[in-house]
Amino acid sequence: MRLKGRSSTVAGALVVAAFVLYIVNVNRGATPYSWQSFATMVVVGLSLGGIYAIFAAGLVVTYSTTGIFNFAHGAIGCFLAFCYWEMRVNHGWPAPLALFVVLFLLAPAIGVGLDVLLMRRLRFAPLVVQLMVTVGLMLTFMGVTLTIWKPNTPRALQHFYESSKGVHVGDVVATWHRIITVLVALGIAVLLRTLLYKTRLGISMRAVVDNRNLAGLTGARPNVVSSASWALGCMTAGLAGILIAPETGLTVENMTLLIVTAFAAAAIAQLKSLPWAFAGGLIIGLCGAFAQVFLSFSQDFSYANEAIPAVILFIALLFLPQARIETGTIRLTKRTERLTTPWEALLGSLVMVGLVSAWANGWIPWFSGTHFGQRTDVWLGRGATFLVFGLIMMSLVPLIGWAGQVSFANYAIAGFGAAMYHHVGGQHGSPIGIFWVMVICAPLGALIAIPALRLKGLYLALATMAFAEFADKVLFRYPRILNPTASGTLYKPLRVLGFQMSSDPGDRKAFVIFLAIAIAVIFFGLQMLRRSRWARRWIAIADSPAAAATVGINLTVSKVAVFALSGALAGFAGTMLGLSKGALAVDEFPLFAGLPLVLLLAVWGSRYPVAAFMGALGLAIFPALQEMAGNPTWLTSIELLGPGLAVIGMAFQPEGAAFNAGRDLAGLLPWRRDAREEKALVVAKLRDDDVTRDEINDLGLTRAFTVDKIAKIDRALDIADEMLERPGIVVASEVTHGAPVG
Amino acid sequence: MALLSAEDVVVRFGGLRALSEVSLDVEAGRVTGLIGPNGAGKTTCFNVITGLQEPTAGRVMFDGIDISNKKPSKRARMGIARTFQKLEAFSSLSARDNVLVAAEQRKAWDKSKFDPRTVADETLERVGIGDIAQFMVGTLPTGTARLVELARALATNPKVLLLDEPSSGLNEDETEGMAVLLRRLVGEGLAVLLVEHDMSFVMGTCEHIYVLDFGRIIAAGSPTQVQGDAAVQAAYLGSAAEVA
Repeated sequence: MRLKGRSSTVAGALVVAAFVLYIVNVNRGATPYSWQSFATMVVVGLSLGGIYAIFAAGLVVTYSTTGIFNFAHGAIGCFLAFCYWEMRVNHGWPAPLALFVVLFLLAPAIGVGLDVLLMRRLRFAPLVVQLMVTVGLMLTFMGVTLTIWKPNTPRALQHFYESSKGVHVGDVVATWHRIITVLVALGIAVLLRTLLYKTRLGISMRAVVDNRNLAGLTGARPNVVSSASWALGCMTAGLAGILIAPETGLTVENMTLLIVTAFAAAAIAQLKSLPWAFAGGLIIGLCGAFAQVFLSFSQDFSYANEAIPAVILFIALLFLPQARIETGTIRLTKRTERLTTPWEALLGSLVMVGLVSAWANGWIPWFSGTHFGQRTDVWLGRGATFLVFGLIMMSLVPLIGWAGQVSFANYAIAGFGAAMYHHVGGQHGSPIGIFWVMVICAPLGALIAIPALRLKGLYLALATMAFAEFADKVLFRYPRILNPTASGTLYKPLRVLGFQMSSDPGDRKAFVIFLAIAIAVIFFGLQMLRRSRWARRWIAIADSPAAAATVGINLTVSKVAVFALSGALAGFAGTMLGLSKGALAVDEFPLFAGLPLVLLLAVWGSRYPVAAFMGALGLAIFPALQEMAGNPTWLTSIELLGPGLAVIGMAFQPEGAAFNAGRDLAGLLPWRRDAREEKALVVAKLRDDDVTRDEINDLGLTRAFTVDKIAKIDRALDIADEMLERPGIVVASEVTHGAPVG
Repeated sequence: MALLSAEDVVVRFGGLRALSEVSLDVEAGRVTGLIGPNGAGKTTCFNVITGLQEPTAGRVMFDGIDISNKKPSKRARMGIARTFQKLEAFSSLSARDNVLVAAEQRKAWDKSKFDPRTVADETLERVGIGDIAQFMVGTLPTGTARLVELARALATNPKVLLLDEPSSGLNEDETEGMAVLLRRLVGEGLAVLLVEHDMSFVMGTCEHIYVLDFGRIIAAGSPTQVQGDAAVQAAYLGSAAEVA
């Protein structure tokens, strides 16, 4: 078995090497291979790589000491770089003062604040919730930055010591900024390692990851430790942000996208090895520099350079050693289970279609005025867009809500579906084309997932994000997929039963109603699927992969199946996306555009298909708010801020809003006595459940507990005897600071 | 020849040897005990047998076939089922759906005619928790959730059942009920491998017992033999008073 593993790794390496050589060969630029050009590459590569390394190291430190992977790392770095700009450039503070304030006051304050307000609540939360909250945080930081510093004003951070020349390495000039960067990276590497290995705080940090409860018993203070590591994470993010801003330009999008680079380096480090995080950063820096110096991508692939980190991330995932099958996390749930019956699902579907049709026809008096939701052509167009987004969210319900597989790629898959639709029928409005797109997108969904299936769930999120980035920078820019000219890729109206559906003002009403019907049909289908063995199997996998495997469930097959289903649904949404836009441009699928969809679904509760519909309605709130407030400039980033802030609420209600709201609303239905009883039970439970998890965390050993309470705590913490077995044995290190295994 | 046997299994976690050349046989139609102090490697041993932990060396034989390289799901399909010491129930499914998942899965390899829903209901009744079928497992008390795990394991119609501390969380009556159930199951020809701390439960149900300490089998034999073994008394039963 081990031999088999090794030979497949070698085979994989050969394939990747061949692929890389092919790309290099095809896109070889004019620069000759010479010492001079290599020196240039090394100077550029090392300094960029050094910054990536700092970025990645911060990410790894927070992850390995708190168990939470911070998707907001890049956005925080970006925010801090803007703060630095504000002080240094806008207010003319001296650089050392500005650096001190940003890195040693502001950054730690943000870190500690995040830890106290949010991250501590996420310690025991399922991965899905942890991911959603940190991604929400990322959008929030992006939104805040964009709100404070409007993107239409150009800003720039200068290199340090821009005026002086630097050092000559042969014929190449290494500027002082670059030298400083490399030195700082080295310094950070040494500092972090010393901190984690030689100081009491660092040793506690590592102990806390190994076993938080045990570390607590031996006198480490888990809360202090996690605050410290969040502070440290934010400081490195800020430092990297300030150093990279002169290279990428001080814009929110460019800088936040660096997370993909940091993720790639962190993946090379298996999320835990600091030396490998640094090595990873340098590798990516050098690869980027190599491409910059020696390659010249053809017109068709003009953005390929920017996709390099995403590709490296994907390759790194291929070579990570197989993870052990994960054991379960307890998800907070209600007490009894009652699945939606077919009749209720049908009723729900009809209500959805009815509501949307009534609005589209102007029959809802309140919404046909001049304010919120007015039924103008603009709002009908928006309505179509929101419903299409609802379809994309719908595609995520079985994937995220049931199988617990977090994918950020579905917006990109929908985009790909839209592009494909143009080639298989959309160019002349054929309904059959929709079917073909679904057939194409189903295996695509599975294909993206395959490299990450054998790994921990977190890697899947990274892989799908890498795909979304790759799709934006390479796939959609390829002229044979989408038309890169100003007109874009065009779609003819879809004709079904004599109705015309398109973005044309005259067709919009029919289109909106058609979309509502589509959502209702998928809603009904998903509700039925939820009652089937497939959904049970997917939920079983999400709850406990280990147990699922030991009752005979083939994890790979089941996961591939759910990805294929999700891909097909996303593909369908894509065809509608194409129709709703009428013309599709190549730049409509940036990574960040898809994230709010995932978040809004999660806010409503990704397990419930109705959440997709609610999420779609919820999207209308943001432009409506903007209009009601008279479009003030401070609200321009609400489409990022809104979902970002909303999802942070998940730290407090992990099951999503649909969970409680659904139960309460169902209680109003005369035949749902079970929902009323459930509500009563929960209220009663809240009253006597006086031991909360936070209390348990903070408890120390000073308080007296009754046997009953201790039992409760044991259960809440999931303490089994095993955890209290010989401490030396249980502490099998999750953090290694040497080379990763394999 | 034994139905299930581990042969010279070694598991290393870094420098630590969790299991050193562990060999044991599990025969059909009887309860085999695996006991030992905390951290002796009992659960690791279960993980190796069910394929959740790859052994560093050694192999696992089942029904005369080397299953060391088979996936956990494949082993389950061959007839190995287990419960977990640290609960691994499908916590957001109802108790019935927990068992139903397993029964439906059995359709993939068991060609005999059966209705998974009936199997699920019958199995729940059999372990005595028919009344909580609609409750979500995440909200059940530990002992009851263990019974759900047991029912789930039984629903796959296994040949070998590995039970990891089934009595923890159960009261005395329930433990006695568990013992009765186990005797009935082995009477039907099932092989059971039992990890347990409740000594009277172990001594009352097991015909053959292996004692594991620091990853090594230090004694094996009938309950009386094991109880009389000097090494066992030193390593384990000496502190039995605290454990039980």
